[in-house]
Amino acid sequence: MTVTQTVTKQEEWEPKIMAYCCNWCSYAGADLAGTSRIQYPTNARILRVNCTGRISPEFILAALDMGADGVLVSGCHPGDCHYTSGNLKARARWALMETAIEQAGIDPRRVRLQWASASEAQIFADGVKTLTEQVRKLGPIGREWK
Amino acid sequence: MLKNNEARIGVFVCHCGHNIAGTVDVKEVAEMALKLPGVVFSTDEMFMCSDAGQVLIREKIEECNLNRVVVASCSPRMHEPTFRRVVEEAGVNRYLFDQVNLREHVSWCHMREPELATEKAKDLVRMSVARAAKLEHLPVKKVNVLPSTLVVGGGIAGLRASLDIAERGFNVILVEKTSELGGNVVNWTHLFPSNQSGVDVIVPLVKAIKRNKRIKVHLNSKVSAFEGYIGNFGVTIKNLETEQEERVEVGTVILTTGFEPFKPYGYYGYGESPDILTLAELQKLPPSDILLVPSTGKPVKKLVFIGCVGSREPGVKGHEHCSRHCCSATAKAASDLRVRVDEALVLYQDIRTYGSGHEELHRLARQKHVIYSKFPRDSKPKVTVKNGKIKINWFDVLAGEPLEFEPDMVVLSTAMIPPDDVEQTAHLFSLTRSGDGFFNPEHIKLAPLTTHTAGVMIAGAAQAAKNASESVIDASGAAAKAVGLMAQGEVEIESTVAHVLPELCSSCHTCLTACPYGAISMNEEYDPPVAMVTEAKCHSCGTCAAACPSSAIVMYHSTDDQILTMVEAFLCPTPEAEGGGSA
Repeated sequence: MTVTQTVTKQEEWEPKIMAYCCNWCSYAGADLAGTSRIQYPTNARILRVNCTGRISPEFILAALDMGADGVLVSGCHPGDCHYTSGNLKARARWALMETAIEQAGIDPRRVRLQWASASEAQIFADGVKTLTEQVRKLGPIGREWK
Repeated sequence: MLKNNEARIGVFVCHCGHNIAGTVDVKEVAEMALKLPGVVFSTDEMFMCSDAGQVLIREKIEECNLNRVVVASCSPRMHEPTFRRVVEEAGVNRYLFDQVNLREHVSWCHMREPELATEKAKDLVRMSVARAAKLEHLPVKKVNVLPSTLVVGGGIAGLRASLDIAERGFNVILVEKTSELGGNVVNWTHLFPSNQSGVDVIVPLVKAIKRNKRIKVHLNSKVSAFEGYIGNFGVTIKNLETEQEERVEVGTVILTTGFEPFKPYGYYGYGESPDILTLAELQKLPPSDILLVPSTGKPVKKLVFIGCVGSREPGVKGHEHCSRHCCSATAKAASDLRVRVDEALVLYQDIRTYGSGHEELHRLARQKHVIYSKFPRDSKPKVTVKNGKIKINWFDVLAGEPLEFEPDMVVLSTAMIPPDDVEQTAHLFSLTRSGDGFFNPEHIKLAPLTTHTAGVMIAGAAQAAKNASESVIDASGAAAKAVGLMAQGEVEIESTVAHVLPELCSSCHTCLTACPYGAISMNEEYDPPVAMVTEAKCHSCGTCAAACPSSAIVMYHSTDDQILTMVEAFLCPTPEAEGGGSA
């Protein structure tokens, strides 16, 4: 009986993914995924920012703190930024942020930085799928914080 | 109208016919929205972008005294400008509108999971409502548009666009990287469907350009630097021969950078024999009444064309598209040359002679006994060259048997690909590119000539493989867009810029190095000097706001508060915000 209940509970749990996408590449790539009817997990909630350069590490930490099981940051390929170099700044911050969350006890597999251009709908959708599956294996973020 | 006091939010959930409502329970979403804090009106409607939908928004703003509007429908990349205009017509500032993407991001990509899709839709609406409550009224700003256009690329599209603009009384600066105007078209001896030569078409255009005092042509030149914003661009033009640079200011830009004919090394023995050439190279052969075999100088007796070379190859990056001109060009060349040779074959995958007058060319070729033979998509013809002799083996789909032929000459109808410096151009003008490498328009149907860089238009093969007629249509369209901006003389620009709060700035200079546009400088009027944004130079990427260690930079319309409130609305909604009431 107990076992059955646990199984049901696990089945009911759906990872919550906070996804920050830049307007020009990844948000457009996600639009194209829709237009192309590419089917991917429903777990991510996309928040549109102009550029990944806008994404302060605080936004990622806050999402994890508020209970996001995973955070996705998706932007233009390095060298292809609509604002020339905002994504390079995002990448530079990412390395630091990743170390910080690891030290705080969070499994770094809960966060994902990816590049998907406006024409790379499949890459965007695959990224959401990969992170969702990764996070599903890790389970709810719950008490991971140290 | 209420301004920044208590939010009175109206939520409009769109069915988009069956597009959204077929997957998402829009009624449930609208009902949930009504229970959210600040929401005073919520409904679902068949088509929010239709006249009826627009009228509904305006009426409800009036009736319910709404001061914030959320529309949950398609991508804001499509209809945000529409709805911003609608709310503004009803007296609500455009920056107090927010759009939820229920179609591209929910219903279309979760078609088999209606329940989870509805959950996602509710979350997104809850996030948007939370954001809407925090949105702030921003001024609508206008800037002057300088009355001149930069046209990049002197092919047929660039020439047409330049003339159209100059004839309407505006100045044009035409930059061409080669030593001549005329692009690819000037090389073609026989254009379809009119039977004119490229020279016949181009020369009158070039003469008209040279006569026109409003057009300044820069040959052997490239744009080396580009800055500014719509209406006021600073362009540096570099002469490739003298290395000299000149700086000019323009109000609008049209890119007509065109294509390059694909050199099909690795396909059908190209490069292994001088008698295997591309359609573009065939056009460049010296004029002669008799078609001669390049290697021997003897008349060609057996001629073969092969279609879709480097086009329509799924999975091959940059070669997945149909190059659109080749079927008609091949039909034209084959019917023209048929009388000069004993046998002419066209080996094809499919025939797409889609334009006005093009199908007639295909029929003409068949009437002249050009033999068309279809090969299977997954088994292309094999060309072997042995001791200078060419042999082709292929499988004829319609006959259902393998065939063999030994032609004197093989002509490959190759793809249009972007020029080799396309990446550089994309960076210069901040454009994105399609999978095939050409520039993306703002919207393929609604805005096919403008780009996401306001004030920069694209025309002709810069956007995708196109024939000369289509490129000219584009060019006149893009010219009309540019003239429209310049004739008005001023244009609205986004107010979503960064702003430094001087009292919080710790003078660390971090934002100065973060800004990609040099828009931040130090204001010496303060002691110590604090950072200051030159709004005209700010492109609103928000990199400075994320970099500021003192949280002294406010990114208007994308503030930390507006972002984090959405995260909170998704992850830890209050019972009230969940729509469950405050019990």
